[in-house]
Amino acid sequence: MSGRLIRLLGSTAAATLVALAGCRAREAPRDHALVVVDDAGDTVRLAGPARRIVSLIPATTELLFAIGAGPDLVGRTRWCDFPAEAAAVPDVGDGMTPNLEAVAATRPDLVVLYNSGQNGTAAERLRALGIPAVRVRSDLLADVPRLARLLGTLTDRRGAAESLSVAFDSSLAAATVPAANRRPSVFLLVWDQPPMTVGKGSYLSELLERAGAVNAYADLPTSSGQISIESVAERNPDLVFTMNAGAPAFAGRPEWQRIPAIRERRFVHAPGSEFSRPSPRAPAAIRTLSARIAEASAPR
Amino acid sequence: MRLSPARVLVVAVPLVLAAGIALGSVALSPAAVWQGLTNGASAHALIVRELRLPRVLLAFLVGGSLGVSGAVLQALVRNPLADPYLLGLSGGAGLGAVIAIALDAGTAWAVPASAFAGALAAVALVYRLAVVSGRRLDPRVLLLAGVVVGAFAAAVMSAVIVLSDAPRLRNAFLWLLGGFSAASWSALAIFAAYAAVPVLVMARSGRALDLLALGDETAHHLGADPERTKRLVYVAASLLTAASVATCGIIGFVGLVVPHAMRRLGSPLHRALLPASFLGGGAFLVAADTIARTVLRPVELPVGVVTALVGVPLFALLLRKSVS
Repeated sequence: MSGRLIRLLGSTAAATLVALAGCRAREAPRDHALVVVDDAGDTVRLAGPARRIVSLIPATTELLFAIGAGPDLVGRTRWCDFPAEAAAVPDVGDGMTPNLEAVAATRPDLVVLYNSGQNGTAAERLRALGIPAVRVRSDLLADVPRLARLLGTLTDRRGAAESLSVAFDSSLAAATVPAANRRPSVFLLVWDQPPMTVGKGSYLSELLERAGAVNAYADLPTSSGQISIESVAERNPDLVFTMNAGAPAFAGRPEWQRIPAIRERRFVHAPGSEFSRPSPRAPAAIRTLSARIAEASAPR
Repeated sequence: MRLSPARVLVVAVPLVLAAGIALGSVALSPAAVWQGLTNGASAHALIVRELRLPRVLLAFLVGGSLGVSGAVLQALVRNPLADPYLLGLSGGAGLGAVIAIALDAGTAWAVPASAFAGALAAVALVYRLAVVSGRRLDPRVLLLAGVVVGAFAAAVMSAVIVLSDAPRLRNAFLWLLGGFSAASWSALAIFAAYAAVPVLVMARSGRALDLLALGDETAHHLGADPERTKRLVYVAASLLTAASVATCGIIGFVGLVVPHAMRRLGSPLHRALLPASFLGGGAFLVAADTIARTVLRPVELPVGVVTALVGVPLFALLLRKSVS
């Protein structure tokens, strides 16, 4: 109880301190100041390179470590599980509705938020406390080098960010399987009850296409959606992608037995977090995926 | 010509069933559908016979169950706002399902089984609370007990969702929105076998419910046993709704609106209302599911969204008609 009270008082004091620091920052010489426009269209101004960063997106946590800014992280989300060193950074919550008190208590000089409408209020409130906050989109492969460069600017690690971006693009090109005549069609089953899949404009679909397969639902009008088993039966995919490590429980249900790929257990398993968020690990994820697709397509 | 429920239903039920089988997320010509139905070796037999047909029939049975349960519960608690989920059932079922999803229970039937257990637990608790002084089932207490048990279960459910990991959180909500994606011949057989007894119990209680509407005293004098009727129909409606939630999640609006619509179309007497609510609920849900499967092909809408989107304007129209 008292611990909680101390934390509460501490964070109020911290917020005040940060607000004061923010006032002073405005008087600081302009030559160190950094100005960027974030993905929400907001102009964000930092007094100098960020040295105390809270990253509320697992993908940006990975990127910050990759450009050498890992030691400057003072807060991360509960889901930031890569690299292993991220575990040593304090956890400030699940990041979806940011716990502003916990964030402010780390006395950050930069907070990285996901660009969602919900986070607009959080960004505004952080800025009101004098804490610069950027909202960024992290949905697709192209966001990886783009965000690396943005974070490079904000942390004054432009050189490292630039070489990471260049290396990323070339290893991405190297990992991409050249278009073949017969590409297996893969049903990306992200949830089974109700059946949910993802369409062309999704990260998983991007990985899949580069791994030498085609998304059975590339024509989906939305980035993700609920579909019926009937349409899966008609499309008759060669393989089924799941995020489970082993055969998923639903595979035993009668309604799914009408899908040959499920009845014959032609699964591509991809449980790792590299398949769920665009990060510098994407080229490796594509190589893993293409190997698993080849393995699952092989006649047995 | 006066619109009687019997006349409307005689036309609507076969029409809607036929449409449900003819239309789907895969566009098939009527000839292909007929081929699929009649010839097991045809190209589309699998889609029509194994996926579409059980789904349509299951939607019909569940819709009918919700319709008749709603009609019975509205009579029992003498409140037009009563619906089959009001009595704590949806909260209990939702909690059961969410726990199974959060724990990543490894078997294929874990979610429906757990939802069913949750619903039964809520029903038992509400029933226990509503039987006052050990003898009488008080409808007002029943209503209140249902609301508080439901609210409690919903609070626990929210806590479980918030504490479980991120992707599951969204997916638990999806399950709660309801739908017939898990339809199969075995799911249909299980539901039909289970539903037969409670549906018959409710269908046979029409006369007793009509007497009950005159007041417990009068009903008693006219030879009914109000206490027994109330308990019997409450248990039957609850057990039936629990099974429907386990089968297809929480599909709102059917149990609330179909009985009212049937009352407005025809006689308010339960002898006629109960079968009409069964057929009307079934037809309504099959129609809603057909729309859910086809409007945004290949994307499917949660059927609960469609029941409200279609049902509300239809019902508003009925309300206006009966006033003017």
